[in-house]
Amino acid sequence: MKLLLSLLALLLVVSACSGSGGDTTTDGKIRVVFWHGQNDTSKKVLDTLVAEFNRTHPTIQVESDSGGVLADQMTVKLTAALAAGSYPDVAYLYGSDLASLARSPKVADLTGKVADWNDFWPAERDAAQIDGKIRGVPALVDDLGLVYNKKLFDAAGVAYPNENWSWDDFTAAAKRLTDSAAGTFGTGWPGAANEDTTWRLWPMIWQQGGEILTADHSRTAFDTPAGAKAMGVIGRLASDKSVFVDTDPTSERMNQLFNSGRLGMLIAGPWVLPDLNSAGIDYGVARLPGVNGNHTTIAGPDNWVVFDNGSARTAAATVFATWLADPAQDTRWTGGIDNMPVRQATTKLPGYTDLVKRVAGVQTFVDTLAQAKARPPIPAYPKLSTMVGQAIVSVLLGQSNAEAALHKAAQDGDQALRGS
Amino acid sequence: MVLPAAAVILGLNVVPMVWAFLLSFRADDLLSPGTWIGLDNYRKLADDPVFRTAVGNTVAYTAMFVPLSIVLGLGIAILLNRDVRFIGLYRTCVFVPFVISEAAEGALFSFVFDRHYGVANTALSAIGIPPQGFLQDPGQAMYTLVAISLWGSIGFCVVVLLAALQDVPPNLVEAARLDGAGRWVVLRHIVLPSIQPVLVFLLVWQTLQAFQLFELVYTTTNGGPLQATAVVVFYVYQQAFQQFNAGYGSAVAYVVALFLFALGTVRLLVRRVRV
Repeated sequence: MKLLLSLLALLLVVSACSGSGGDTTTDGKIRVVFWHGQNDTSKKVLDTLVAEFNRTHPTIQVESDSGGVLADQMTVKLTAALAAGSYPDVAYLYGSDLASLARSPKVADLTGKVADWNDFWPAERDAAQIDGKIRGVPALVDDLGLVYNKKLFDAAGVAYPNENWSWDDFTAAAKRLTDSAAGTFGTGWPGAANEDTTWRLWPMIWQQGGEILTADHSRTAFDTPAGAKAMGVIGRLASDKSVFVDTDPTSERMNQLFNSGRLGMLIAGPWVLPDLNSAGIDYGVARLPGVNGNHTTIAGPDNWVVFDNGSARTAAATVFATWLADPAQDTRWTGGIDNMPVRQATTKLPGYTDLVKRVAGVQTFVDTLAQAKARPPIPAYPKLSTMVGQAIVSVLLGQSNAEAALHKAAQDGDQALRGS
Repeated sequence: MVLPAAAVILGLNVVPMVWAFLLSFRADDLLSPGTWIGLDNYRKLADDPVFRTAVGNTVAYTAMFVPLSIVLGLGIAILLNRDVRFIGLYRTCVFVPFVISEAAEGALFSFVFDRHYGVANTALSAIGIPPQGFLQDPGQAMYTLVAISLWGSIGFCVVVLLAALQDVPPNLVEAARLDGAGRWVVLRHIVLPSIQPVLVFLLVWQTLQAFQLFELVYTTTNGGPLQATAVVVFYVYQQAFQQFNAGYGSAVAYVVALFLFALGTVRLLVRRVRV
């Protein structure tokens, strides 16, 4: 009995250590392990696409699952997987983490392997290229705009946001929409000091002609009057108490409040639109407020990343990843999850016309995407993001004034850039 | 015969410990080949202000959590150490929060302590106290976390102390009562000395648990607001997985581990001194 138990234990240990199970399936097809980090509707759409790929590509077998995590934990999962030597062939990765993960030589170089590269929008191309090499295929793209609750605007007697709004219009409207007795706020801002907190600051700096980093990416460049003005907008929201600070790291509470009609407006991307539709909120979409007519916004593209598990698997994985980004599949993937297309050719397909009819406001996001900018794809970006996030949260909580917080963020950011 | 079990222990315990120890001497991000830098990580540790904040926060949390959990645990255990109707139900109710995962606790109490929409502030305003920041206020966040952890883990202290209380010799208590001793005297001179080994065990155990606080911070405050709740294990996680400084994170983890190991040996020494 004891011998049996110990043999069983040994067997379990050995089988657990045997890794991902080989390069080919039992019927001789090349295996491609696909971690998509999605659940619910997104997962169903991808499963349908994977099934079709397997049918139309008889020499390749794609095995897809979420990878055991959702997209926001995928970076951690992939880091551990790469360290352990047991990693997938294709995975979904946040754009801001690509540069960090691309430090690993196992992230495949896709330069020259993606057809019609210029069909992707400029922001997507910038975010997927590290040091001139293409390291990811755009999987999902969004950009920031202004989504507002028409009912709350009517109740407060404030005119709807329009194409020419300035940030002063924005803060003034937020103040008028705030009714603390009724538990309503003008707007919300993520307050967990992570990337969601930080990336909303950058468009305000770009609109004034400023930059995040110097041209050689060696130092921060936002500790300027432009940066101070941008941080000052956040400071105004905080002092007017017209902003709901969401300390939830996934910013879920802010979205839920907006869906229940307690936030007047939200700087958000097209991902909020489907939930607003189901919640029955009468919403409108405008482009981001701007400075002197400049309404540049920020895009947050995510990528399918291909990993090197040997030349046969890498080749097969590249075929799969680029297939997913083809217009015929893109329209089903992004249309299936009510998000905007990742490439311009898709806007000419009938599926896109349906999408625009189904999800009111999505066209505005697509229109602003052409001039949207992307974050600098450098490995030190996560560190920089945390520093700036802390600064923004300290201003949101009224613990520090805008200039001091910005200055500290720039100093810490410079140190982070030097150290990487 | 021993080999399979030894293989499991070596593989799952010793090998990762040695690997992490070696990692702490490297500048490694777990993705690209790292470089050997000797004791540089440890030197950097000594000068790191964020590490010092993390240690300070952890020590503050431990200093509040451990005594409170033992004192409150003892109080509740004494209350539950009687044979009335539904006592089984009461004991179960006290223990159930311990079974709930810390992540679920964190999600639940994030809602309860929400500054604008949480039940806690609604209850406070009903008795005339202005709304508090709780997890959003840098000055209150740590106290709120202590309160949440107490709710979650007091069940364990109660169960252990209850078992210890039931081992107190009843004839001693009876004899003391006959001699005219009141409840407090019985507690001080009979109960506490008898359960003293268990109290020492709980002291060390709860300290070890307090130092390893992570899931609660991860699901509620993410180390904020403004590093007010950044504890050491959370700092290790941030360094290793969000900032890609796995070598440095490993060094921090080892410093903490050595400290906890020293603490564990204190218990052994105390036992030896006692006997």
